[in-house]
Amino acid sequence: MSGKITVIMLGCALLAATVQAKEHPGKEQILKEGYQGPKTCETCHPGKAREFLGTVHWKHASKVDHVDNIDPNEEYGMKNRIYTMCNGSDIVNNLKEVPPNALGKTKFTGCNTCHPGDHSSDVGSTGPQAEQAIDCLICHSFKYDFSKRKAVKSEDGKVVMTQDRSTEAAANIGRPTIKNCMACHEAAGGGAMIKRGFSMAQKDEVHVTKGIICVDCHQVKNHRFPTGRDPNNWANDGIYMTCVGECHSVTPHKDADYNRHIAKIACQTCHIPKTGGAFSKDFTKWEKQSNGFYEPSTLKREVNETAPVYAWYNLTVSNTPHFIGPKGSRTDGKSKIYPFKIFQGKAYFNKKDGKLLSMDFASPIATGDTLAGVASAARILGIKEYEPVPGWQTIYFGSNHQVAPKNKALSCANCHALNGVLNFKELGYSPKEVEKLTNPELYFEKLLKLQQENE
Amino acid sequence: MKKILSVVVMVALMLVSVLTFSRQAQAEELKMVGTISKIELSADKKSATAILKDSKSGEEVTILVSDELTLDKFMDKRIVEGDEIRCKFEKMDGKNSSKMFKKTAGC
Ligand code: HEC
Ligand code: HEC
Ligand code: HEC
Ligand code: HEC
Ligand code: HEC
Ligand code: HEC
Ligand code: HEC
Repeated sequence: MSGKITVIMLGCALLAATVQAKEHPGKEQILKEGYQGPKTCETCHPGKAREFLGTVHWKHASKVDHVDNIDPNEEYGMKNRIYTMCNGSDIVNNLKEVPPNALGKTKFTGCNTCHPGDHSSDVGSTGPQAEQAIDCLICHSFKYDFSKRKAVKSEDGKVVMTQDRSTEAAANIGRPTIKNCMACHEAAGGGAMIKRGFSMAQKDEVHVTKGIICVDCHQVKNHRFPTGRDPNNWANDGIYMTCVGECHSVTPHKDADYNRHIAKIACQTCHIPKTGGAFSKDFTKWEKQSNGFYEPSTLKREVNETAPVYAWYNLTVSNTPHFIGPKGSRTDGKSKIYPFKIFQGKAYFNKKDGKLLSMDFASPIATGDTLAGVASAARILGIKEYEPVPGWQTIYFGSNHQVAPKNKALSCANCHALNGVLNFKELGYSPKEVEKLTNPELYFEKLLKLQQENE
Repeated sequence: MKKILSVVVMVALMLVSVLTFSRQAQAEELKMVGTISKIELSADKKSATAILKDSKSGEEVTILVSDELTLDKFMDKRIVEGDEIRCKFEKMDGKNSSKMFKKTAGC
């Protein structure tokens, strides 16, 4: 490892470690006076609650300027987008109790369970009541009791999300840990590691091994979270990030042969060789579970079992009813080769306009009746003219986490051998170029030397 | 060349599947969905036992959990008694060792 990088990495790791150990200066007062929600924090951190209401984590939406076929003046996100990883939205699948199933059991379901409010103050709500409903501690407490965060029916029959507002939880706060973030991010897409299929365990991710956590890379300012350009992460707080920045330069390798590739190949391509999770779902047929509830049928793999598909990506997104994924080409001067997890989902499309329909899960969960779910969603959204026909949608998810140890990064022969991971022809190289790019001449001497060194 | 390679790969794959199969046959891997009726952490917090009530048969099965991630979820109560769990476990030396222990979840 080059000296400079070592120092920076150590710096990042140390920073993470020291900050964790530091005690929060507000602890004593909180222990003395108890925790009454955000207003307690605001005695020393004025304006934080109001500031939070303006962010993606509260609104589940923002304006989006890099995606085809949407209105640049509207806001998009989990609040209102539909795709086939989760065939609904916060609006359609607003937290509710499902009708009893055949065994007479019922449960709560809703996309907005992953919203840090209490449901009375819901996605995108504003004003003093919303400010006081924010669950600051889900992100900031090390002693959060997650059994206290659940959907329940209040006395007046409304469904609300409860929170851990104990003094114990409030007295133990600081920068969010991986666990705080994973409270919601781990189960996105319907269960642990289903959607993104990456693990943030120490043994699986080189940064985490070194003590680097989510918020070391995602440097959050005033609750605005920097994000990347994953084709299916539209909502953003207006700040973008890549692997290159404070920690890595565009020439991170001692070996110029690798650095030369960076103009055309994204860091993730070589450094994230595998992810996992769901690669296909069928929302038109739900499977009955032994508990009597139904779930969308899902094909999935473990976190390191799926090899990505590689495509040119210029950071703008093609968005049609049957495809959401990267735009770009070898020749547009802006694209690089990125790794993606391809996902294919089956759901109902509207024969009248070709658009993907969404589904309210309440009925399907209880009875498996997916068309009842489509009908309910159409009612909620005010769609009167529709004729549901099953069809498939292909989605590309960026592989941006679970950076492998460097001995697992793609090396010369992983790409340039005849059976390499890149399909040069499909990526737009001519037969002549392919011949050159798959000629051992490119790497033979180098790999031989490496082999000798290691023997 | 490609052909030879694919034959080699096929043989390797078959070997792997035969090997994994025989290993599974040795330490039987079982699956169940059930509700947790009791969680007990060991004194050193390096393992725990969870009693799951099988949703199908109603039978109670005691599972030994020793992976860190799941133990952590017991400790901060992301997984609690009453939760429904999808579990894979191996029967070995009279114990049911958990290989996967996840809350069931729809989308
Ligand atoms: C063409 C493939 C390729 C690309 C593209 C690539 N890397 Fe690497 N990288 C490797 C390989 C292989 C290694 C391990 C061997 C080595 O260090 O020479 C490595 C090693 C590293 C290391 C460890 C260096 C050390 O000395 O320990 C860092 C850090 C790194 N890469 C960061 C990046 C970043 C940041 C980018 C994007 C700007 C990037 N890499 C792009 C293949 C690549
Ligand atoms: C009695 C005053 C007081 C109260 C009450 C208080 N804080 Fe703080 N907090 C501070 C001070 C002082 C600092 C350190 C200076 C700074 O970063 O602003 C701090 C720092 C922080 C930090 C940065 C920690 C770090 O390690 O970087 C966070 C996050 C934080 N507080 C969250 C909260 C939350 C959430 C609440 C409500 C549960 C809260 N605070 C209540 C005084 C308080
Ligand atoms: C367990 C928490 C959780 C639940 C429940 C959840 N989501 Fe999400 N969802 C997330 C997270 C976290 C992200 C963003 C990160 C990512 O995509 O990896 C996200 C992103 C999305 C996006 C992409 C939004 C964008 O900005 O482009 C859509 C669409 C979406 N979810 C739909 C749904 C639907 C529909 C449901 C309910 C049927 C649902 N989600 C339930 C956590 C959740
Ligand atoms: C979705 C997660 C999340 C929620 C919810 C959240 N925060 Fe934060 N907060 C963060 C992150 C991330 C940082 C940046 C930490 C860092 O890198 O040092 C932060 C930083 C802070 C800081 C210190 C830096 C600053 O901006 O002054 C304070 C104080 C703070 N939060 C208070 C609050 C309060 C009060 C609430 C509830 C009204 C709240 N947070 C809700 C994620 C969250
Ligand atoms: C209460 C649940 C919850 C928690 C806790 C949470 N997130 Fe999120 N996060 C979401 C959801 C839901 C979305 C997707 C919203 C959308 O796209 O509409 C999201 C989106 C994001 C995004 C992309 C959008 C943006 O704002 O840039 C990033 C990055 C992110 N989260 C990082 C984090 C980090 C880091 C933490 C820990 C400090 C964290 N999240 C904690 C639920 C959560
Ligand atoms: C090693 C640095 C690093 C760590 C650690 C890290 N991220 Fe990221 N994350 C990134 C980068 C870089 C991107 C954007 C990549 C791009 O689009 O080029 C990103 C993108 C994202 C996105 C957008 C959707 C996607 O998957 O591309 C979300 C959401 C997100 N991160 C959440 C998290 C959460 C939650 C954690 C902790 C569990 C975390 N990140 C840890 C570097 C990191
Ligand atoms: C992730 C796959 C990948 C890896 C790993 C990789 N390459 Fe490449 N390499 C490519 C691609 C794609 C191109 C064509 C880039 C372009 O369009 O300019 C290329 C181009 C080259 C070229 C220029 C060929 C020409 O004449 O245009 C050389 C030389 C080369 N690579 C050598 C190497 C060596 C040596 C290594 C190991 C140190 C290596 N590559 C690792 C994908 C890879």
